[in-house]
Amino acid sequence: MNPNWAEENLQTIRTLMERSAVYRRALAPIMLLAGVLGVVAAAIGLLLPVETYCGFLILWFGTALFALAGAFLIARRQALRDKEPFWSPPTRRVTQALVPPFAAGLCLGLLPVFFGPSEIAATVALVWILFYGFALHAAGFFMPRGIKVFGWLFIASVCLLVYGTAAEWIDLENKAHWLMGFFFGVLHLAYGAYLYLTEKGKNAA
Amino acid sequence: MNPEPFLQLDRVIHEKGRLAIMSMLAASPELSFTELRDALAMTDGNLTTHIRALQQEGYVAVAKSFQNRRPLTTCSLTAAGRKAFDEYINLLEQIVRQTKK
Repeated sequence: MNPNWAEENLQTIRTLMERSAVYRRALAPIMLLAGVLGVVAAAIGLLLPVETYCGFLILWFGTALFALAGAFLIARRQALRDKEPFWSPPTRRVTQALVPPFAAGLCLGLLPVFFGPSEIAATVALVWILFYGFALHAAGFFMPRGIKVFGWLFIASVCLLVYGTAAEWIDLENKAHWLMGFFFGVLHLAYGAYLYLTEKGKNAA
Repeated sequence: MNPEPFLQLDRVIHEKGRLAIMSMLAASPELSFTELRDALAMTDGNLTTHIRALQQEGYVAVAKSFQNRRPLTTCSLTAAGRKAFDEYINLLEQIVRQTKK
């Protein structure tokens, strides 16, 4: 008998326990939906154009609500198709990980409405991108590993942009819709396309 | 090497398929039959046989319900099952420690 059989058994048990606790809904359709909504919202913001802070908030909160509702419907549809409960323990854990950064982003986004100044949309966009990165990273502990890397991309990008602005290498004034469109639109589309090609047989939501 | 811990290993849990089921259930309050089947790549018949054996031993509880008019079978560990699983893990760790000595 292999003397390491007990160790191998323990490793198998550990792997299976981790797999059991991981959120397994296919993310590609959700990411693609979020990406499309992000690009459309950015196009609306730039073309109309939406220049007031209240308009910026309404446009992007509305987009976030649509994205959340869409994600909920897609995940629920997958759960029904797989004959699994929607509100499973992994779903609960992922939701619990997402809520604090999302709530903080919401509160900080509303701050300028009450206390001004209102011309800080780009700063608020950076704060949202940063908190969204935190949310993805926190949820990544209960999801496939790629989500954590995706979260890091948001966090690192904000740090670079802040340094770039402070050093006057880049100017983010009046670029709020561009920032939102790139991070919540283009990056989600790119990640969704990557997942679509790599998540075998799970994307027909 | 002292064979004592090996002889104490629970034969019901020690079987590969049943150990996999117990491991999955130990990390989650409950799992549906399809979740277990897909995660462990087992056939319906194979999984049913293993679950029945674990149920007979009092390690696993099976609940049948309906979700959106479809039958839903969920499995969970019983208190006895969790205790037996913990003891099994402790024995394995003991064996690993002995092997390393």
